[in-house]
Amino acid sequence: MKFSNVSLLILIIVAVASSNTPLTKDACIDCHRQLDEEQDVGEQILKNVFQDIHLQVGLSCADCHGGNPEAYDDEDEAMWDNPTFIGAISRRDQPEICGSCHSDPQFMRQYSASVQTDQVDQYWTSQHGKDLLNGNDKVATCTNCHGVHGIYPVKDPRSPVYPLNVPSTCAQCHNDAEYMSEFNIPTDQYYLYRTSVHGKALLDRQSLTAPACNDCHGNHGALPPDVVHIADICGTCHVNNSQLFQKSHLNNIFLKKGFGQCEACHGNHGVKKPSDEYLNWEHGAVCLQCHGNTTGNPKELADLFYHTIDSLKGQISLAEDLMGQAEQKGMEISDLYFPLEKSQKVLIQTRTSIHSFNKDLLLETVKDGFIATDEAIQGASLALTEFDQRRKWLFIFSLIITYLIVVVYFKIKDFDRRHRNKNK
Amino acid sequence: MSIMDWINERVNIRGVSEFAFKKKVPVFYGTIWYYLGGVSLFLFAIQLVTGILLLLYYQPGAATAFESVKFIVSKVAFGWLIREVHAWSANLFIFFAFLHMFTVFFAKAYRKPREMTWFSGMLLLILGMGFGFSGYLLPWNELAFFATKIGSDIAGAVPFVGEFLLRLLRAGDEVTGATLTRFYGFHIALFPAFFTLVLGIHLILVQVQGMSIPPELERIPEKHRRYMPFFPNFAIRDALFWLIVLNIIALLAVFFPWELGTKADPLASAPAGIHPEWYFMFMFQTLKLIPGHIFFIEGELFGLLIFAFGTIFWFLVPLLDRKARRGQRSRFWTVIGVVLIVYMIMMTLWGYIV
Amino acid sequence: MDKLTKGPETSRRRFIDILLGTGLFMWISSLIYPISKYLVPPKAAILYVNNVEAGTMSEFPPSSSKIIRFGRKPVIIVRQRNGKFSALSATCTHLDCTVQFKADTEQIWCACHNGYYDITGKNISGPPPSPLAQYIVVVKDDKVIVALEELT
Repeated sequence: MKFSNVSLLILIIVAVASSNTPLTKDACIDCHRQLDEEQDVGEQILKNVFQDIHLQVGLSCADCHGGNPEAYDDEDEAMWDNPTFIGAISRRDQPEICGSCHSDPQFMRQYSASVQTDQVDQYWTSQHGKDLLNGNDKVATCTNCHGVHGIYPVKDPRSPVYPLNVPSTCAQCHNDAEYMSEFNIPTDQYYLYRTSVHGKALLDRQSLTAPACNDCHGNHGALPPDVVHIADICGTCHVNNSQLFQKSHLNNIFLKKGFGQCEACHGNHGVKKPSDEYLNWEHGAVCLQCHGNTTGNPKELADLFYHTIDSLKGQISLAEDLMGQAEQKGMEISDLYFPLEKSQKVLIQTRTSIHSFNKDLLLETVKDGFIATDEAIQGASLALTEFDQRRKWLFIFSLIITYLIVVVYFKIKDFDRRHRNKNK
Repeated sequence: MSIMDWINERVNIRGVSEFAFKKKVPVFYGTIWYYLGGVSLFLFAIQLVTGILLLLYYQPGAATAFESVKFIVSKVAFGWLIREVHAWSANLFIFFAFLHMFTVFFAKAYRKPREMTWFSGMLLLILGMGFGFSGYLLPWNELAFFATKIGSDIAGAVPFVGEFLLRLLRAGDEVTGATLTRFYGFHIALFPAFFTLVLGIHLILVQVQGMSIPPELERIPEKHRRYMPFFPNFAIRDALFWLIVLNIIALLAVFFPWELGTKADPLASAPAGIHPEWYFMFMFQTLKLIPGHIFFIEGELFGLLIFAFGTIFWFLVPLLDRKARRGQRSRFWTVIGVVLIVYMIMMTLWGYIV
Repeated sequence: MDKLTKGPETSRRRFIDILLGTGLFMWISSLIYPISKYLVPPKAAILYVNNVEAGTMSEFPPSSSKIIRFGRKPVIIVRQRNGKFSALSATCTHLDCTVQFKADTEQIWCACHNGYYDITGKNISGPPPSPLAQYIVVVKDDKVIVALEELT
């Protein structure tokens, strides 16, 4: 038949074109690639199939879809009359079919000794999984995040769940207001995240260590974090801030009132690089969200924090300024960079110590910073004084030389007069 | 006077001093150019004094050189002054020595019988540049490290002996602490010894042969020429000029100090804008502009050959310029001199601007 | 003869000589002063950054650490439970915070973003992208010395 001739031709082409792929004889691929090409509209679903990790390790279409991949000339034997044939996998069945291998430690171990096998179990605990069980097909299943017919390992940069790709992968649905309308949750997370300190670090600076969506929400078990656990989640990276806060007296109050610990002041998806202005009582301190009508202790504490940090910053910029001046004048002050850098580190530690809401801790922490800036300021001032002394020395030296030049000039006149007299 | 007499009875120093007092300097429109040799001598003396002073604290070696220079400029009283004066006076020395050479060239003062003075002077200039090249590395900072690397690389391009020269300069295949030790030896022992010897010959020749005058003036009868005695009339003018130069050095030292920069790190990549000292700039820029290959010769090698032959040619000018020997000005050599000056200035400016 | 007949000339000459003498004296003093000052060695010693004394052995009981200044950079010296020393750059390779020693797990820890290094400086978890530079610790006559290269 024409069909088989063409398929043979395609088989040869495929065999030649992709001789590096482990699988070159597969009736499913042969036919469906051809169908792909004959089809004028729509996506070629098998475009990337040879890069698929499953094909790479020796699995075939039939391992997920059933049927007989060796039945070259017999469509019925390959699919319709074959009892193993599943065909297109429904979204509801996806987790179980993927899980038939991925949840089997025995099976998975042959590919990697350290592979995880709890993804499907976790999935059922996620909001996605719960909704799917309740019959909602619109939620994310395995393929929505990992792709299909071209599934890459998670560490492959082409994978939609490679850290840099996670935000846009989640955003496919979560950024689509129309699609999300029935779920009654906001759809501005991606927009907020994109401009947040984390989003900029991940997507602009391409820092793979910056958190993507899944680092806070989990992946297979994705759930919005509850109030009690926010500090723990942020604390995976921001340890000291988290621990200090959880030990502080505010922690219990926040929990009681249902405020998200870190989130209450820093926000969530759109978290910005914190500013010292968060403490500025006169200009919209974050404290005012709750303490808006109070003065007394909260205000005093915030003022103390704000002014202490402000004065350390002032000292640091004074030190930088003086050091810059001294360097511009060519003075050797490279030794002062050590205390300067130290004070900058203390500034960070001081900002961290605020999360204890304990003024003693803050004052104790900031002390070293002032000592270090003092060293830098004194060193730079000394260098500047030294430069002034050099100028004074130069002035005196020049004065003496000028005087000498004038006298020597008269001496020259004198010698010349004598020389002329002698010649006469 | 009794001490003089006492010495004079044993050695005839009065003869020497009388001889010195006989020396006279022609007075004409070009008298001003006679100060350049003296000021170079003065700057060399400054180098000697400040160099010895720096030796008191400087510690050669990759681990200590940078720190000891930093110590000198930041901790030792007036250490900054000694270092800055040493650095500035070195640059001014090269500047005035070049100027001296060109005025001698255009005045045709190299002509018979002063060929040896020209040869010794050229040697002094080359040694001076050697002083500059070796001294540049001694603070062991980043800029010097890479400049030395590039400079010695160029030596490596010399045919047949390049490899040997490179290893001789670097004391190994790379610029390391061993190179520093070697350059230190060159800078404080080898070069000063040679320099003093050649300088002695140069000065004795000047003293014995007296001041040269340009060929045109020579044609004027002796009694119509004006002179002033070297001692004291000219010498005190010299002193006046030296004082001015000294004050300029002090000014430069305070307001335009040479920055120490950061310590050399052999593993770091070369910072942008690495260039040698200004007096090597015209050569550096030329080598940069020469294409990769010229007539089957490597471009760098071609450049080196040009400079080598150019230097030899320039060195042998007194023998090549036959007209000057007959007391005539040769337009050919004047044009060559002007072209060379214009070329050096253009290339130096180009090197700094681009 | 000459001197006797030309009185004003002589006194004028003597005046200039006096002026010249004082000028020379001042000038030479202005040269000798800085040089003599320069000759007196300053009290501060040269700071070498190829090796730094971190303290005596008694300052380093097992399971302890100390951050010292090594040139412009901080270096953390750790004495492990088994008495072994190690010294590492104390600047976290992530965002330049100063790291600390966690005695219980014998790891180096950066509090800023929860980065961990092992005792050899290798980054083992958290954001640090690369290991901490290693230094050499030498104990000589009860003194603990940190060095860039092996001291001999």
